[in-house]
Amino acid sequence: MTDMAASIDPSPTDWNGEAMRRRIRRRYAAERRFKLLGLAAILVSAGFLAFLLVTMFSNGISGFARSEVRLDVDFPRSSLFLDPAALEGFGADQALAGADFPEALNEAAQAQYGDSGRSLFSEGAWIGLRDAVRDDPSLLGRRATLWLPASTAIDIAAKGEGEAEAERLKARLAEAGRVRTGINWTFLRGSDSTDPSAVGIWGAFKGSLLTMIVTLLIAFPIGVLSAVYLEEYAPRNRWTDMIEVSINNLAAVPSIIFGLLGLAIFLNVMHLPRSAPLVGGLTLALMTMPVIVIAGRNAIKSVPPSIRDAALGIGASRIQVVFHHVLPLALPGILTGTIIGMARALGETAPLLMIGMRAFVAAPPGGFADPASVLPVQIFLWSDEVSRGFVEKTSAAIIVLLVFLLAMNGLAIYLRNKFERRW
Amino acid sequence: MADMIQSPIQAADAAASSPKMTARGVSVFYGEKKAVDDVSIDIHREHVTAFIGPSGCGKSTFLRTLNRMNDTIGSARVEGRIELDSEDIYASSMDVVQLRARVGMVFQKPNPFPKSIFENVAYGPRIHGLAAGKAELDVIVERSLRRAGLWDEVKDRLAESGTALSGGQQQRLCIARAIAVDPEVILMDEPASALDPIATARIEELIHELRGNYAIVIVTHNMQQAARVSQRTAFFHLGVLVEYGETSAIFTNPRETRTKDYITGRYG
Amino acid sequence: MSLGAITLLILGLGVVAWLAARARAAAFAAPDRPRPHSLPGQHGWYVALWTAVPALIFLAIWRQVSGNLIYASVMASPEAAALPAFDMQRQAILSEAYALATGRAETAFNPQAGILAPVYESAIGFYNWIGLAVALLVAFAGGAWAYSRVSPQFRARTRVERIIMMGLLVASLIAILTTLGIVLSLLFESLRFFSMVSPVEFLFGLNWSPQMAIRADQAGSSGAFGAIPLFWGTIFIGAIIAMIVAIPLGLMSAIYLTQYASSRLRAWMKPLLEILAGVPTVVYGYFAALTVAPAVRDLGLSIGIPASTESALAAGLVMGIMIIPFVSSMADDSIAAVPQAMRDGSLAMGATTSETIRKVLVPAALPGVVGGVLLAVSRAIGETMIVVMAAGLAANLTANPFDSVTTVTTQIVQLLTGDQEFDSPKTLAAFALGLVLFMVTLALNIVALRVVKKYREAYD
Repeated sequence: MTDMAASIDPSPTDWNGEAMRRRIRRRYAAERRFKLLGLAAILVSAGFLAFLLVTMFSNGISGFARSEVRLDVDFPRSSLFLDPAALEGFGADQALAGADFPEALNEAAQAQYGDSGRSLFSEGAWIGLRDAVRDDPSLLGRRATLWLPASTAIDIAAKGEGEAEAERLKARLAEAGRVRTGINWTFLRGSDSTDPSAVGIWGAFKGSLLTMIVTLLIAFPIGVLSAVYLEEYAPRNRWTDMIEVSINNLAAVPSIIFGLLGLAIFLNVMHLPRSAPLVGGLTLALMTMPVIVIAGRNAIKSVPPSIRDAALGIGASRIQVVFHHVLPLALPGILTGTIIGMARALGETAPLLMIGMRAFVAAPPGGFADPASVLPVQIFLWSDEVSRGFVEKTSAAIIVLLVFLLAMNGLAIYLRNKFERRW
Repeated sequence: MADMIQSPIQAADAAASSPKMTARGVSVFYGEKKAVDDVSIDIHREHVTAFIGPSGCGKSTFLRTLNRMNDTIGSARVEGRIELDSEDIYASSMDVVQLRARVGMVFQKPNPFPKSIFENVAYGPRIHGLAAGKAELDVIVERSLRRAGLWDEVKDRLAESGTALSGGQQQRLCIARAIAVDPEVILMDEPASALDPIATARIEELIHELRGNYAIVIVTHNMQQAARVSQRTAFFHLGVLVEYGETSAIFTNPRETRTKDYITGRYG
Repeated sequence: MSLGAITLLILGLGVVAWLAARARAAAFAAPDRPRPHSLPGQHGWYVALWTAVPALIFLAIWRQVSGNLIYASVMASPEAAALPAFDMQRQAILSEAYALATGRAETAFNPQAGILAPVYESAIGFYNWIGLAVALLVAFAGGAWAYSRVSPQFRARTRVERIIMMGLLVASLIAILTTLGIVLSLLFESLRFFSMVSPVEFLFGLNWSPQMAIRADQAGSSGAFGAIPLFWGTIFIGAIIAMIVAIPLGLMSAIYLTQYASSRLRAWMKPLLEILAGVPTVVYGYFAALTVAPAVRDLGLSIGIPASTESALAAGLVMGIMIIPFVSSMADDSIAAVPQAMRDGSLAMGATTSETIRKVLVPAALPGVVGGVLLAVSRAIGETMIVVMAAGLAANLTANPFDSVTTVTTQIVQLLTGDQEFDSPKTLAAFALGLVLFMVTLALNIVALRVVKKYREAYD
């Protein structure tokens, strides 16, 4: 004791001395550095997000546009032996189906642009020709000027990153005023294709929609009812504990495991159709349900007990208390959680690959049991394509997906702010 | 057996025929803890019965056994026998939902549903099927609001939310809600403790008016309030019913020293 | 009559039952009689449920049973004798015939399907009639019994509520069933896998090349299932590279937002970070493959390391970015849970804010942060799309971040795409990998939650 007391310098600390000042300066510098480090961390994270979004948008925005090349078609002299009268009334579709539009396009293109003329146009360009005739049968009697989708090489060149030869071709066309840029309706209306200039996202979008409907119809009722049971009625026993542990664990299971479950149970045991929105929806529902249960329990928990007392006090049964009072009050919170869960399901890819939703599907699904693709899987499939034309389509599809996710999350935030009740 | 435990008060009270509710040997446990110990008491028609006592004395707990609101607390257990019109309310043949319609309750803090004023009052009649149509429901809602002395203040804004009313109005709305299902007994758990003096006076007045139609039991920690509104007073202490009798007798001439000490402010 | 139509019919009967029982119960109510126990509508529900639910349950079972019965009766028919013996061909014809019989297809490519279609049609018709008859019988029996019980004293409400309560319980049991389904399907398929490949080779083998031979006598026909390179790749990307990115960025972001940022900046930046967590993983994967991977390769080449387009670094970097919000929100919660008094104590003796954070707040919040990092790791190793699109397929056992490695999830996707026979070790290996992944993430989560819980309790 005495030793220690002796070793401590008895003189008072010199707070204004040079050493102390230097020390203070050093400490403040460290403080500033630390603060800057924190700010840098935030900025790097936000910068990365911005970089990602900007990359996707700058790559993808051109996917919504397409280059069109001008084509003068002299219908009376073409090989289309079509009577304009046949295109009125009932037989019209059959008459159109019987006519050889690809050949007519071929002839017209060669007549106008020489032997390689056909290669200026996209493989599916004859569809544009057909639609023009269908919309206006009187074209068949005269020469007409049409704008038809350009081939992928010209399209890329028009968007500024094509190969040298295509660039030269495009420059010649541009000089003559024979190329222009239009909105790519095919991309918004079409389905998957092997030709990047003919692909569309409508098929995948419809697949996503059907899948989400199945997911919602299964996950929402089961999730809400489980939440009600666990929060309002469940007795404290081993069963309840097991249910709770299961739900909490399911929420943390990697999504690909749900894909394995879907493959093993829905496809191999129950023999449901492969690649179908039904199976995709079921698989994603099992994944989304825990999210809804957890959000639902929190929302139900935040309804004050005095409301339950009030209803019980005038003779409402325990079921009536929940379904007349607690659930309506908890609904905004439950909906918020549901939308967030659904947004996650909408962006999910891996489990769907497991149940065969990576097939090439060239037509939008007609029902829940038809083979379908979904937006994220379509993105994955296009990203694997070698053709350069798919780069902008992939990014454009990503823009569509991000817009939907943003809208859903925005809706969730709006609901939360609007209906959040402070008791 | 029944004669032996019949309280002296009941014998003295010749005016009341049979009591509305009787409790015999009621004990309430929360888990291992005994909150109410062997309470026997009679609740009479057209009377206001006040339960007084220091906080934590079991008076609210006992009140909640009278319409089985304690059932909602998992760990609560009730022993003894409580009858409503000579019917055992804890018997398996008694439907707890119907019991609560017959024995209504008003809570310490006003707890209107976050719905319109009309819906607040109409909810009970609706779930119990008391009104055959919208017209009948309108009549019930108006009658209940009138009895609760709230009609004139809200008749023009029945569609507004019940939570938009002032605290005192909310509590009268809760009373209107309770009487809309046509109960026989109304239990009030410190109904004025969250209100200002003017609103409290209004509630007390209301209790006074309602006495003609219902048996009312009110828990209060305010002895003046008990003296003002009740005809009978029960004094609880540490889960035991210490003394029960005419309010005037309890306040002027208590038999037990514990009662006297509490009333004169020696503890509480 | 199809099963769908029968279902609608039963539901219609339920509505009729509801109306009938309600009308009967409504007749009880009279001013001079005591009030009935339950409302007319509740009686209606009771009878309607008894009418519809047993019949619907029967239909659901019948749907499964009748499928097998129809198949058996078609196979027993003389027309089926001509079917080819080869299983896949036979299945194709049968499913085509089925599509024809149910009107989902109009013409048959295979003439045999055309012959079988009428057989199918009559079998389906026959078993659906049986289904209809029994379902109606069940519905009427249930409805009549319930209807006979309607009386003023009958406690219809209590009964209906008990049924609702059962429904709630069943709904919450789905969670257990799902967990059970995951565990059982993974275990079952893994056991089949381990009957072909020894678990020791799987868990400790260093060589992964799951190609199966097309011919039995082919050289190197057996395929190698040593999963160590996959485990290493998974840890290298998910637990090392991604965490080197995510922990400093996430932790410093959380510290800055909770301790320094103005409330306005906080209100903006927090949701912005959350967006990082909401971007679909396939978008990250595409970004990693399209933008980050070429940049990483160029970087590698410029410093003289031969690098492939698919590198561990590219996948790990992007995954780390994706994980930032998880780390930062967990760190945020943990720091917020440190009692204010600790912070005040440090500030009051003249420590600067950064000294308080580094010496007091972070050490105090460390268990919570560690728990959050464990959760983030479990999330990262289960992540699929980024590694599928950016990490590659080569099972290298390397510590060079510019090299290509492969992960457990990548291989699961790789093994299960394409049409595989379901009993080859190649397909089953995916389930064994899934089982390992499931166990590891489960263990990480349990440990993390326990750590976090203990930490919370320390300050409550």
